[in-house]
Amino acid sequence: MSSAYIPLIVDGLADAALIFFVAVGLTLVFSVMRILNVAHGSFYALGAYISVVIGLWLTGRGGPVLGLAALVISPVLIAVLLGPLIELTLLRWTYGRPEALQILVTFGLFLILEDAQKLIFGVQPYSQDTPMQILGITRIGGIVYLNYQLILVLMAVLVAVGLRLMLKRTRIGKLIVTVVTDQELAQTLGIDSSRVFILAFSLGVFLAALGGALASPTVGVAPGLGSETIVLAFAVAAIGGLGQIEGAALAAILVGLTRSAAIYFAPEFQPVAPYLVMLAVLLVRPFGLFGSIGLRRI
Amino acid sequence: MKHLRSMAALAFVAAALNPAYAQTGKPAEIGMGVFTFTSGPAAAYGMPGRNAAELVIEKINASGGIGGVKIKPIFVDEGQGTDGVVAEFRRLAADSNNQAMIAALSSGNCLALAPVAEQLKMPTFMWNCDTHQLFLKDRYQYVYRTNSSTVPEFIASVLYLLSVNPNIKTVAIINPDYAFGRDAGLIFKETLKALRPNVEVVAELYPKLGSPSFNTEISRLAATQPDVIFSNLWGADLENFVRQAAPRQLFERSKVILALGESVLQRVGTLLPDGVIIGVIGDGWWKSPHAQANAQAKDFIETYRKRFNEYPVFPSFKMANTLYAVKAIYEKALATNKNRWPTREDLIAAAKNLKTETLTGSLALREDNDGLVDQIVGATVKDSAHPFPVMGQMVRYPASLLTPPVGTDPIAWIGKLKPDMLNTLPKPGAYK
Repeated sequence: MSSAYIPLIVDGLADAALIFFVAVGLTLVFSVMRILNVAHGSFYALGAYISVVIGLWLTGRGGPVLGLAALVISPVLIAVLLGPLIELTLLRWTYGRPEALQILVTFGLFLILEDAQKLIFGVQPYSQDTPMQILGITRIGGIVYLNYQLILVLMAVLVAVGLRLMLKRTRIGKLIVTVVTDQELAQTLGIDSSRVFILAFSLGVFLAALGGALASPTVGVAPGLGSETIVLAFAVAAIGGLGQIEGAALAAILVGLTRSAAIYFAPEFQPVAPYLVMLAVLLVRPFGLFGSIGLRRI
Repeated sequence: MKHLRSMAALAFVAAALNPAYAQTGKPAEIGMGVFTFTSGPAAAYGMPGRNAAELVIEKINASGGIGGVKIKPIFVDEGQGTDGVVAEFRRLAADSNNQAMIAALSSGNCLALAPVAEQLKMPTFMWNCDTHQLFLKDRYQYVYRTNSSTVPEFIASVLYLLSVNPNIKTVAIINPDYAFGRDAGLIFKETLKALRPNVEVVAELYPKLGSPSFNTEISRLAATQPDVIFSNLWGADLENFVRQAAPRQLFERSKVILALGESVLQRVGTLLPDGVIIGVIGDGWWKSPHAQANAQAKDFIETYRKRFNEYPVFPSFKMANTLYAVKAIYEKALATNKNRWPTREDLIAAAKNLKTETLTGSLALREDNDGLVDQIVGATVKDSAHPFPVMGQMVRYPASLLTPPVGTDPIAWIGKLKPDMLNTLPKPGAYK
């Protein structure tokens, strides 16, 4: 392989890692609850905003290393506070109702959260780049990369593997899989599907907010981040097959590498690259790479 | 019919009894639509404009308004998209209390609004429209640009670059993907072609406006290793680009021109090294000798800093200068009308060929309604008085030398520029 392509692959994978965090949460929520959550992008943006605010606060008090803790504190806070609250008050009411209504409800929530962000954080961009600075740089193919970018790729792999292990090996994961496979049967077995729904939704919120938090040191946190993200996350989830974790991972890599290749070789196609991939995949496999008709699995 | 006559008579009597209308037809206040971005990534650039409008209108009103008439601003967020902006413009224009529009920030919105303003006969003063396409094909009566266009703005970048780095061989471009970015790319390339025909453009990147990440673009630029990187990114995009490119040492490897760089200097702190070429696409630099010598400008700068906790950036001056120019146009019209309140037609007639002093220099409106504003360019330099770099080694290029004459095709005019033009212009560092 020519060394000229190495930066392209590194950039593509770093991009893919960020896309994956959002898409996997979206796909998890869909697989369990059968809801296309338009507000998912807002959790990503909130994760980024709150991570920056907490990060700056912690850095000011305990130094830059302590600031790193914000990257985990922020998504946990958001998932714990907003996950159960939104599932119980808004989403529960939509179960069993037409999909259009579910989309309208989550879209309404998206608009509320977007305005709430503007109200709380204003319109100027936020940034907290201490994590990038303390982790240093690496030269690959003659190009300077931030070690933080490379760590993000590792984090994405860990999340994908951890999520799969959690679903396969842990009690909570098995409960989720059972509810996904057959909710009625799960209930007759005594599984409290309502609690599983809360848990799955909160996990989805956590993953979106984690994506935002981890992205925050390398991207600008400004109004519009949520809407920018959700469109891409939907494309990635559709490519991978809605409800498929491995599908989301593969789709994120495909989209990341394609976007990266577009910037290197045909920059004019960069904005449409993810959607060209989506078009190509859906023409051949209308249910996505890992999707199939009638089969529900995660 | 009877009712109609009674109502008309009543309106006439009411108008006659109103002391403000009785002599001069002056309303108590006039509405003015002020269009800028207050949401989305562009708000980082749009809010300083809005802040300035708030401050200047307060100031004008506190000193008695325009000829005794107060201004009531109606702020419109351009973040809602062009369709919404046009709809808002139409709605405001339908209200006879709204007598002028300060619109708009985005070049795309300006191109959409200009024919609408003409159709509705609404005097419109384009405070931040840079695209040279605005007056390229169409002639307007009701639309004025109280600002410079992309042509002098980006010719100025090239002139400064060639003055400090005459032997460059390769350049790369990273601009936002819409009219403003594409126009700037074209003007930059055409000017280089005219002045240094051997310079090669090795990469042209046009990321989507509002992109949160430029990391892949930064890798691509680093891989290309150009002598020069030119960018007219702005708002949150520009700040993100600087924050992402600086730790990856892009500013050390290439000479970088940030044509709108001044707007983020205070926000990015010490991330930018010395020597990055910075522009204000106009003359709106708060530390410029003109601004520092102008008592009104110093008062504006100080009031702005106290209220918003930062110094006004160049979009603030574009807005402030536009509002003061509109005030000057009204005053000219009032003088012509012997203090009778001007109609919309009186107003546009007064705007024709206006020459007025601004907070940072001067503005002249040409016969084609385009604005002439000098161009200040400089390079980043550390300043012990501030925790952020400022512009040093400044030059102020006269507007008349960088702006194509009325009626000429700007790109064809650029093609006729001669390399010896550089010898006739002031040198970097001359403006102090």
